[in-house]
Amino acid sequence: MERNIAVPGDVLSDNIRASGSGTYIHEGKVCASVYGLVNKGERYISVIPLAGKYIPQASDRVIGIVTETAYSNWIVDINSPYEGLLHISQYPRRIETEDMSRYLKVGDCILTMVKDVDAGMKVELTLKEKELRRLYDGRIVTISPTKMPRVIGRNGSMVRLLKSEIGCGMFVGQNGRIWINGSEDRIELAIQAIRYIEAYAHTQGLTDRVQAFLKAKEKTRYSRIHESRNSEEW
Amino acid sequence: MSNDVMAEIQRDYLFNLVLKGERADGRAFDEFREMSIETNVIGAAEGSALVKLGDTQVLVGIKTQPGEPFPDTPDVGVIITNAELIPMASPEFEAGPPREGAIEIARVVDRGIRESKSIDLKKLCITEGEKVWIIFIDIHVLNNGGNIIDAASAGSIAALLTATLPAARYDLGEDSQIPMRDIPVAVTAIEFGGELLLDPSLDEEQIAGTSLTVITNTDGSISGMQKSGAEPLTVDQVIRVVDMAKTAAAEIRKKFLEV
Amino acid sequence: MSDKPEHFIIDGKRLDGRNLDELRPIKIEMSPLDRADGSCYLEWGNNKIMAAVYGPRELHPRHRQNMTRSVVQYRYNMASFSVDERIRPGPSRRSVEISKVSREAFEPVVFTKFFPRTAIDVFIEVLQADAGTRTAGINAASLALADAGIPMRGLVSACAVGKVDGRIVLDLMKEEDNYGEADMPVAMIAGGRITLLQMDGRLTTEEFYEALKLAKTGCDKVYELQRQALLEKYGDEHPVDAEDVSLEGDTDEQ
Repeated sequence: MERNIAVPGDVLSDNIRASGSGTYIHEGKVCASVYGLVNKGERYISVIPLAGKYIPQASDRVIGIVTETAYSNWIVDINSPYEGLLHISQYPRRIETEDMSRYLKVGDCILTMVKDVDAGMKVELTLKEKELRRLYDGRIVTISPTKMPRVIGRNGSMVRLLKSEIGCGMFVGQNGRIWINGSEDRIELAIQAIRYIEAYAHTQGLTDRVQAFLKAKEKTRYSRIHESRNSEEW
Repeated sequence: MSNDVMAEIQRDYLFNLVLKGERADGRAFDEFREMSIETNVIGAAEGSALVKLGDTQVLVGIKTQPGEPFPDTPDVGVIITNAELIPMASPEFEAGPPREGAIEIARVVDRGIRESKSIDLKKLCITEGEKVWIIFIDIHVLNNGGNIIDAASAGSIAALLTATLPAARYDLGEDSQIPMRDIPVAVTAIEFGGELLLDPSLDEEQIAGTSLTVITNTDGSISGMQKSGAEPLTVDQVIRVVDMAKTAAAEIRKKFLEV
Repeated sequence: MSDKPEHFIIDGKRLDGRNLDELRPIKIEMSPLDRADGSCYLEWGNNKIMAAVYGPRELHPRHRQNMTRSVVQYRYNMASFSVDERIRPGPSRRSVEISKVSREAFEPVVFTKFFPRTAIDVFIEVLQADAGTRTAGINAASLALADAGIPMRGLVSACAVGKVDGRIVLDLMKEEDNYGEADMPVAMIAGGRITLLQMDGRLTTEEFYEALKLAKTGCDKVYELQRQALLEKYGDEHPVDAEDVSLEGDTDEQ
């Protein structure tokens, strides 16, 4: 059976105009540049990496952790080789530099957006958009950023499925971090589902698999509650 | 990005779990992760062991060769223990000579072996004042998943138990085993949220204020202790760790019978 | 220890029974380490090599950062217990040289321009040595780099050729390495281009050409094994339907 996996250097096509992401051109041929899954689109052939770091791009929504309060910037860990800078002017309210730590301190989690990335990879963040805010409670799960598209799904379909089937709040950052909110057992279930998706990210029919996975989990949960109820009566 | 700053949310989560008597991986406070020990993995070494404790992987190699004894102890063998926290094992480890973390691990493991008198050093004497067996214990951490020291100690003992003194190679007679008289076992606990947790995982290590390693022998006596970290411990806590360590060590010691 | 064999080749076979153009057995295990971004454990004859890659990641100290690309750093190290006579821990002049030429074997191959100001760190630990550790290390490093998702022009494949008993042979074993007439490690990328070449000993020009040709066939064989290991890692599952894997995940609709 022909596998869709490419190894760096594999020749994918003779049509150099079809060179998409994860490929490069060498002596008139399109070659894979990463170890990943070959994606034959209509116009481009690309390779989607199976592993890799998150490299920030403008307008990405990410989950960050404040690591430092510098003079007029918060320095934010965005799970990337590049750190994010949140300038004081990008906080939703006007605040003084002396008050910075009162609003955001080291260890705080934020839902933030990448405002700009320059050629030297200086990453500017902002909190001045709808929905962006500091996160309280809940849990943060980190997965490989290359698997994020599967957790999000086509047009957000997988995220919606998870939220509705599990009954929890969820935000999926582009940088491989996912924030989940809800009751303890809902959060547990969501994390299991995410780990499941991560393990099977490279397979087909993932939506069906995930639904089956969740149903099976719900079943055992109900039977356990049922059992404990019975034993209480006894 | 360094892992130094853990999200407050994550810290709170682990703290709340402990208050409820739970841990993130579902273990009991006094429960060890799964430990596997494989010996004789490096043929070039006279003894070796690969220990996997949860995600932590530690490879210990024993090299034995004849050499000069120390001048003040002319009739006993020499044990030299070294630990390398090689940079591939964690984003936090840097290349270079061992720094305080690696040195501490090596010295604590060494202490446990030496103080328990588990190796009869007198039997390592070849010619008094001239030639004795030198035993090099080299601890090579391959992957840091937390609690390196217990894995390193277990690996060292397992490697010693299955190591040879290659006398024939040096025309000193027949090959023999290193004379081991006891099986000291290191058990480490961390203090967190007022509770004591054995065999800390990587996350738990990061948030703990302090750890206590206790090395016990087959008869329950203690041959080594090390408190590591800046937070204080109460006397009660120390006594409890010693108790927990004795029990856990007895369980781990069973694994050595299989190697 | 004077263990020099009288003959290295008897009736067309070498001391370990191999043909002149045969590689020792090679075993590859992908991703054995979970902290590293990519890793590979490789056994080559009696060599046991662990390779790990971290990166791209922040590079310290700052003054070593390159504003336009990532810096590849390569550290080849032998464990104290990896050889008969224990080695003192720490870099030796030999390991520093090997680290340098190995790094240079990868520099033309890695797409460093995608990650300015960062480092891509490659670590090779020789856990057990039996001749040919630097080439085994390079082969493992290629796999660890691919495992970490580092973009590259292709895999680097390496092997050593040498001369014993007047004959050119592939993949020297310990005795051949110690007592042979020449030792030549070679690393290649697709298209037969060479990214590492060293030679120790004495060869005529003709012998050198022959050795280079033999090295190429050796590297080609290694490449197949490397490729196989990468394909097998995701072997059993069905590959994903390309349409499902859209990079334009819509984060607004949450």
